[in-house]
Amino acid sequence: MPVHRAALSVPALVASLLGLSVLLLAAGVSAGSEGWSLNWRADADLISAIRAPRSLGAWVAGALLGLAGALAQGLFRNPLADPFLLGSAAGAGLGVVLVLVAGGAAGVTLGLAQAGWLLQAGLVSAAFVGALAGVLLTLLLAGGAARPMRLLLCGVVVGVLMGSLSDLLLILSPEALRGKQVFLLGTTGFLGWQHVAWMAGSLVWLLPLARRLARVLDALVLGEASASSLGLNLPRLRLGLVALMALATACAVSQAGLVAFVGLVAPHIVRRWVVVTHAGLLALSALSGGVLLLAADVLARSVIAPQELPVGVVTALLGGGYLLWLLRQQTRPA
Amino acid sequence: MLGATVMTWSGWLRAGRCLALAAWALGSGLALADITVVDDRGHTVALKGPAQRVITLLPSLTESVCALQACDRLVGTDRYSNWPASVRNLPKLAGLEDTPIERIVSLKPDVVLAAVSSRAVDRLEALGIRVLALEPKSLQDTRRMLETVATVLGRPGEGERLWASIEGRVQAVAQGVPARFKGQAVYFEVATAPYAAGQASFVGEALQRLGLANIVPPAMGAFPKLNPEFVVRAQPGLVMASVDAVADMRKRPGWASIQALQQGRACAFPEAQFDLLVRPGPRLGEATELVAACLKALPAPAPASGARP
Amino acid sequence: MSADLLTASGLSLSLGGRRVVDGVSLSLHAGQWVALVGPNGAGKSSLLSILAGLRPPDEGLITLAGRAMTQWPARDRARQLAWLSQQGEAEGDIAVADVVRLGRLPHLGLIGQAGPDDEQIVQAAMAETECLALAGRRLSALSGGERQRVLLARALAVQAPVLLLDEPTTHLDAPHQHDLVRSLVRQARAGRAVAAVLHDLNLALAADRLLVMAQGRLQADGAPSDPAVRATLEAVFAHAFRIERFGQRWVAVPDLDTP
Repeated sequence: MPVHRAALSVPALVASLLGLSVLLLAAGVSAGSEGWSLNWRADADLISAIRAPRSLGAWVAGALLGLAGALAQGLFRNPLADPFLLGSAAGAGLGVVLVLVAGGAAGVTLGLAQAGWLLQAGLVSAAFVGALAGVLLTLLLAGGAARPMRLLLCGVVVGVLMGSLSDLLLILSPEALRGKQVFLLGTTGFLGWQHVAWMAGSLVWLLPLARRLARVLDALVLGEASASSLGLNLPRLRLGLVALMALATACAVSQAGLVAFVGLVAPHIVRRWVVVTHAGLLALSALSGGVLLLAADVLARSVIAPQELPVGVVTALLGGGYLLWLLRQQTRPA
Repeated sequence: MLGATVMTWSGWLRAGRCLALAAWALGSGLALADITVVDDRGHTVALKGPAQRVITLLPSLTESVCALQACDRLVGTDRYSNWPASVRNLPKLAGLEDTPIERIVSLKPDVVLAAVSSRAVDRLEALGIRVLALEPKSLQDTRRMLETVATVLGRPGEGERLWASIEGRVQAVAQGVPARFKGQAVYFEVATAPYAAGQASFVGEALQRLGLANIVPPAMGAFPKLNPEFVVRAQPGLVMASVDAVADMRKRPGWASIQALQQGRACAFPEAQFDLLVRPGPRLGEATELVAACLKALPAPAPASGARP
Repeated sequence: MSADLLTASGLSLSLGGRRVVDGVSLSLHAGQWVALVGPNGAGKSSLLSILAGLRPPDEGLITLAGRAMTQWPARDRARQLAWLSQQGEAEGDIAVADVVRLGRLPHLGLIGQAGPDDEQIVQAAMAETECLALAGRRLSALSGGERQRVLLARALAVQAPVLLLDEPTTHLDAPHQHDLVRSLVRQARAGRAVAAVLHDLNLALAADRLLVMAQGRLQADGAPSDPAVRATLEAVFAHAFRIERFGQRWVAVPDLDTP
């Protein structure tokens, strides 16, 4: 087993991540469509209206995803778990497609457009409700959160079912495809102050609540039976953790789309540098998730300015690249 | 078996006869092929005569065939072709991801017109079906596509004539565009994110014929994904998009400051019209008429508007 | 007569149509350590998890400290009874000290902060199993033997009156196995009721009492000094060895002579 090198202390990691966040926020505020510009006074209204909320929004969305990812990996005791495992991604996608289709010609024929409330709800609410609905369906199918294996399997089933449903709808209404593609690839472009407020407001109570349940995840390290023997009501507690994970994912995904890899990689980044219990891991994963998505957003808009890469592509490159590096580190002899 | 027969004299004779037959067949095949065209992949496709049974797998190609007065030769189209009304009764042969290869083969088409990006192309060619891959992106592409299709239909030159009439129609429309909009920069949004139609796209080129400029220069490509800040900075004189998109634009952070939106200089096209605008086919003239009609109803640009420094 | 901390009567469990535990009755006394032995598939692990309240039996009754097992709220039961699972399940990246600290979970709950007493107990447990030096290391970075000692320390940290251990000697080398047995003896002498499933018969024969299981049934229940118990032990293992006296101890001598 390779002995871990160069570890940081927890305060050092927190300081680094916070420092990175500040740097990236400064970068985010300077990265305009014309390239880099440090003349903040001249661009003041662009900064306040577009760049600042967008950068902050990316950070908060990333923090929510990082938290959800850490919850997922602790719940399923699998370092490759991500927050989209229980049908939240497919559910959000279906919600988005439903709204897009309802607005199109096919929606009229299907009578969907009669449900004016569908259109009124908008894409954001549809994605949010859809994500939660996906997880709820998974929980119903699995009969609660008592058996994690069954939960995972049902999550896969729900994901496939909802994915097929949305594909079916897309056949009827192909103009919705563009909208769905955009959603799938993730977009931070239109994050405004109200979106930031909404996401930050969610993070502010989701994180402490999750930390209160963090010891359950620690106990799960010992195994199901041992955790039970420590007096924990695992089915109920796991249900609570799943609910928190679903909410964090739904918040992030409804605003920023299905951003890949942030939830998966954020906890790995933390574990690479420090050894912490889950209470610390949840908070630090949120921090590193924020840094990751903000970095991706800044890159996405500065690399080919004034054009923009889809932020989900950049996170996949960054996150995937990091995982590759991690793999090479592990296979190297100690 | 062949090896054994070649050993004998009669074997040699038989082999020689086979070779001669093959050579004649090849030669006659070439001699009978009197139509050769090059498609957008650079492949040369040869037909024995004008195509009588045509399958189209892209709406703009369907429309082109019908515009060239050969609608009756269509034996099948893709699912999204909806103009003219008569094609709606034809067998629907392709969606976005699926193409029923077997059904296409059973319809025995003389040629299949498909998009370059269609995955069915290779499979159909492997089965011996002649496929023309055509996917126009600019006006020049559209012109070439029309002539290629016309040639394949046995009517060379019809494509050029059709193009000339389209050009003429666009010219007429251009003259009807109110002078107050000449030279105004347009922001044409094709999809949220936002994806814009730049000057290099056929949409941009068509708008250019109407005397309109574009906030997206040719260097950025045909349909770039933009940083939303770019649009706000550019302060387009005109905004054109689908109805939903225009409604959404006002809510986007920072976009309220776009004067074109504030002053109502936005063309919000309903779904059916928007589809027409983004289809590079023979109805380009009609598309430009839609744009002109919208422009006529818009208020004049305020004199102080212009791009941000 | 030492107190009966855990009693079971008529326990039965069927899994997949097979009776893995068949009418087992026993009691664990304070101050005694008991070795549960038997051939593979005898039902030892299943019995232990039933006794720990982790798996409900199909039939039978368990009483823990005078109260029926089903009446015990989970957290209170966790303070009365500590259970160590067969290794292989524990996997994660948290520090060794934090793993052992999990043993205080039944006392602290999910949000209680560990006080100086708890810390002292955790340190003592780690000292007992010689893993103080590993305190800051990740669980996933340990060898099998190191991990076993850490998990054992976790079970000891609960300081429960009843201690149930499923094959605690797995992965441990001989010196550490002996340390473990000495530790179990100490726990018993401190007044706890200890029961451990053991594969190594020489270690098991050092116990205060032997529970010999075969085919789901309790075949013998008594001290190693009881000849009937020794005879049953030899019988359930198909006389693969003889039990001989060696000084103060009983040892199992393998019969390796070819017939």
